[in-house]
Amino acid sequence: MPSFPPALVLSLGALLIPFLRGPLRKLYLLALPIVSFAALLATPQGSSFDYEAFGHTLTLMQVDKTSLLFGYVFHFAAFVGVLYALHVKDTTQQVSAVIYAGMALGAVFAGDLITFWLFWEGLAFSSVFLILARRQADSNRAAMHYLLVQIVSGLLLLVGIALYMHGHDGATAMARLTPSGSGHSIFNLDWAGPGVWLIFLGLGIKCAWPLLHSWVTVGYPAATATGAVFLSAFTTKCAVYALVRLFPGTEELIWIGVGMAGFPIFYAVIENDLRRVLCYSMINQIGFMVVGVGIGTELALNGAMAHAFCDIIFKGLLFMTMGAVLFRTGRMNGSDLGGLHRTMPWTAAFCAIGAASISAFPLFSAFISKSLIMIAAAREGYHLVWLVLLFAAAGVLEHAGIKIPFFAFFAHDSGLRPKEAPRNMLAAMAISGLACIGLGSFPDLLYRHLPYAIPDYALPYTWPHVIQQTQLLVWSALAVGTLMLLRFYPPELRSVNLDADWWYRKATRAFVAFGQGPLMRIFGWLSKAVHETIPTGLRYFARNPGGAVRLAFDRVALGWAGLFRGMPAVDAAQERLREDQARFAETTPGAAWPISTTVLYTAVVFLVFLLVVLA
Amino acid sequence: MSHPPVPTEPIFNPEDPEVPVPVRGTGDHGTWFTRHVRGIIIGLYVTAFVVLMLDLFYAKHSYFSEEDWFGFYGFYGFVGCVTLVLLAKLLRKAVMRSEDYWDA
Amino acid sequence: MLQHLPVLTIMVPMFAGLLVPLLARVHAGIVRPLTIGALGFSCFAAIHMLLHVQGGHPIEYAMGGWPIPTGIGYRVDGLNAMVLVMIAVIGLLTALWMRRSIEDELPAAARPGYHAVLLLACTGFLGITITADIFNLYVFLEIASITSYVLIAMGRRRQALYAGYSYLIVGSIGATFILLGIGHLYMRTGSLAMADILAQFQANPDLYGMSDVRMAFAFLVVGLAIKMALFPLHGWQPGAYTHAPSASSLFIAATSTKVSAYALYRIVFSVFGTEVLVSGLPPVRDALLAMACAAIVLGPLIAISQGDLKRLLAYSSVGQIGYIVLGLMLLDERGLTGGIIHFWNHAAAKGALFCVAGALVLRTGAARVDDLAGLGRRAPWTASAVTVAGCSMVGVPLTAGFLSKWYLATGALATDRLYVVPVLLASSGLTAVYVWRILQKVWFAPADVEPRVGAEVPWSMRLPTLVLAAACLVFGIAPWSVEFARDAIAALGIAP
Repeated sequence: MPSFPPALVLSLGALLIPFLRGPLRKLYLLALPIVSFAALLATPQGSSFDYEAFGHTLTLMQVDKTSLLFGYVFHFAAFVGVLYALHVKDTTQQVSAVIYAGMALGAVFAGDLITFWLFWEGLAFSSVFLILARRQADSNRAAMHYLLVQIVSGLLLLVGIALYMHGHDGATAMARLTPSGSGHSIFNLDWAGPGVWLIFLGLGIKCAWPLLHSWVTVGYPAATATGAVFLSAFTTKCAVYALVRLFPGTEELIWIGVGMAGFPIFYAVIENDLRRVLCYSMINQIGFMVVGVGIGTELALNGAMAHAFCDIIFKGLLFMTMGAVLFRTGRMNGSDLGGLHRTMPWTAAFCAIGAASISAFPLFSAFISKSLIMIAAAREGYHLVWLVLLFAAAGVLEHAGIKIPFFAFFAHDSGLRPKEAPRNMLAAMAISGLACIGLGSFPDLLYRHLPYAIPDYALPYTWPHVIQQTQLLVWSALAVGTLMLLRFYPPELRSVNLDADWWYRKATRAFVAFGQGPLMRIFGWLSKAVHETIPTGLRYFARNPGGAVRLAFDRVALGWAGLFRGMPAVDAAQERLREDQARFAETTPGAAWPISTTVLYTAVVFLVFLLVVLA
Repeated sequence: MSHPPVPTEPIFNPEDPEVPVPVRGTGDHGTWFTRHVRGIIIGLYVTAFVVLMLDLFYAKHSYFSEEDWFGFYGFYGFVGCVTLVLLAKLLRKAVMRSEDYWDA
Repeated sequence: MLQHLPVLTIMVPMFAGLLVPLLARVHAGIVRPLTIGALGFSCFAAIHMLLHVQGGHPIEYAMGGWPIPTGIGYRVDGLNAMVLVMIAVIGLLTALWMRRSIEDELPAAARPGYHAVLLLACTGFLGITITADIFNLYVFLEIASITSYVLIAMGRRRQALYAGYSYLIVGSIGATFILLGIGHLYMRTGSLAMADILAQFQANPDLYGMSDVRMAFAFLVVGLAIKMALFPLHGWQPGAYTHAPSASSLFIAATSTKVSAYALYRIVFSVFGTEVLVSGLPPVRDALLAMACAAIVLGPLIAISQGDLKRLLAYSSVGQIGYIVLGLMLLDERGLTGGIIHFWNHAAAKGALFCVAGALVLRTGAARVDDLAGLGRRAPWTASAVTVAGCSMVGVPLTAGFLSKWYLATGALATDRLYVVPVLLASSGLTAVYVWRILQKVWFAPADVEPRVGAEVPWSMRLPTLVLAAACLVFGIAPWSVEFARDAIAALGIAP
């Protein structure tokens, strides 16, 4: 197998999909990630595939242990995802999903910021079709919301990169922007500046930082049953990868990560849509990774990457089980489901495996990755951080470990008797389930691919760690069980829970009481500006710019003249203004530009030039 | 807990309109899980007690002092989860809206 | 024959243009093959010359063997070879594309004449581009202008006549300005050969201080600004593009204003020398920069609210020409690269979009944006072409438009003109608004809307559309145009 960038194997290979039919197409879909993986294995370490383009060297492949780790797991996710979606006949979804996987691989192997940005945009534009493919009014709206946020992220990144290059003699290497070591502040002007801040913020949006996260919780639950599986794997993890690459040891990340790990779980408890619960839980898990990046020691970075690796697999598994339920029943609300283990026992079992993995039970995958981050936080003496993470780890069990399987497959009997998931879905879930158990039971499978060695004190299978973790989880489960027995547990209710997206949807007073009044008002104002005022204003203005300026001027002038209301001249002028405004609405755009005007402008412009050249 | 009424006719599946979802007929006797709810709960309590007692039998390598308390992890998990759920119920009061909130 | 290619490139379409009306009386079927053959030859010749001049081997050609300062010279270098290719390719594609369109829009008796005028217009544009003599440039400019007036005025509605007439008046003013400029220059230097005048400026920089030279520059710049519809002198253009026959809109929109912009490049580089902007008359540079930036923002802004697709595209062209002028005014290798590749990139994108506008006219009788609704369902090929070309207009990465904007932005940063970057971003945003308006209609029209477009247009129209749309992608991915532009700049004498 000659070496070739996997990103191109997938994204170019995807273009052939529409031309294949029937079983051949299925075979081809399954072969694509395998061929691409072989191409990756054939690529030597170091940089390759350099292209000279618009005056910069674009490096398509920067292969080292960090990028390889993400490359492996992205291939795994792509293969499992394709297998899971094998029954889908919608060409749009197939093509966009494969391109999307290719873009993710491109971003991870990008050797310079510009290449990274190109693939970053590709991620946004290819993935939105997985939401649009649902072809419903509300999912279309969610897709637009999703795309808009993604575009903003891309723009911030682009401007950030341009500013950064401008300040660093055109440096574009995809390498750490922070100085070596850890404990750097993003506000330290020695290494950071506006360019770096914009890059940071652009990554933050795709990483679903607090208040910037609503595109996840709006977009992913609106995706198709199979689309959400792909979405859960790539976009946010690319952002985590980029943080590992560019911002290791940035102290602010610790607190951002703590917020991500600690806050969304409250929403997860009361959310009804089970895939949205998974989204909140995903933000919670990414929070752990972000904390790891922020701590920035070798162990912490290892932990962040290992956790990303495991998370892609078990979160994918959970999204797959929920996708199967959605596919078979057409329902995703906890209040409509329940009792499905009768007819979907395999799906229920795989869901339990996913739940055990995300909750970090011993022998399951998160057990061997989350602990690295916890230990790194403890060793660096971040006491409060450690306590919040421990609380978040208990909370994961509550919402992802118990709530998801319980309300979907057990709980009260909804009466639904759907068929078991199709065989291809079961096969995909089985592969992921096995991977979760395999990684959890044999941690060295993962550890030896991490960029740094794992020290002895961080090895997961020690008696204290196993017992303490079991204790934490069992007692958390006990708490939930007890609350349920006492009828204290909040029931699943059909409802909408306001979230940060509410900022830019509606404004009420509740959050003012939360002490974020000014911020909310700015967001509300921005939202109105983006969605209504600016487009309407632009269209109004563009009808006849000259006229619009004149009207605005008249309005201001007459506003002052309003002090002398009652004077006949002023009243007449105001009447004229009203007439002008009424007429303006009927102006044919751009028509008010007769040829005499052009001649006049010519004379004026020439006069200006004459003055300029003869002065 | 408020349960939606159990339908008796096969219902429409928007994801896969060809295949409506069948619903429960008569003669459902439940499954192993539904028959052993009490046993499962008792098992959970027993396991919890056992893992708590295990704390007596190993040497801790602690980073922080509270880790040395007897049963700290179990206690923290229990209190953490109760707090989580109770605070979430409060949160619901603040943020929950009717399902068609965004459509209004 | 190869050494005569420069002159043949011009003469073949010219004589074909003269022959067409005569031969049409003998056999009407000969008109189309002859037109396509002649333009095909020009295309071949232009591409051949483009490849030949790479690496700094310009082609000099003395008409009739008269030595250059006395006789008229043609000169092909990297810059005008690119523009020649653009004109010839667009001309050829227009000729291929227009059969069904003019059958629909023109009476049978007018069609042979239309072919002839198109050929002559092509001759004019090619001549402006290839000549190395400023008076000859003026002559070709007049040929191109007069034929353009006719091409526009042949539209089937009465407004076309008015639009052609308006263009005639404003265009004549522009041509007069240019002639006055040439006259002033001739008074001072006593020469019309570009190389000769440039040598005088280089030998004696004090010439820049002479008031008649300054007047000459002002006349030329303003005259060309009118011809290229640089904001705020664009008043003639939207009407002309809107009411002309679709084939004329396609050809003129994709070439005409850019040829005038090329003339500005040529005047700056090969007549006055770039010094005129740097030390000679820097305020002119600032004024043109301001006009270019205004065009870049206001063109798309006005385009947003247009209901007629052709008029929308016309205003968008006002903005796009700003990019080309901006590239020149930056006078930096990167900025110039951006400006020069934009000749091709804009021709491809705008050409594809006017093809679609013409297809819409053929199917619905008008070019209303609203009538695009459901195009994606009925005419997926055409709809894909709109999508690609639209993305290129916005500057989405991997399309040609992105490269133009990227180079312009880096050029602006390199010359410390930071304000250009927000201008470019704003323009991208505004462009995205109107392109989104189009794409939303094309792809996301509600299912209950019955598309006005019944079916795809015939392949004779579809193929040129697809070629142009594909060019938007090819130039965005393979950096050929950039290589050509670099080579052109190296030959023009800005250090890389």
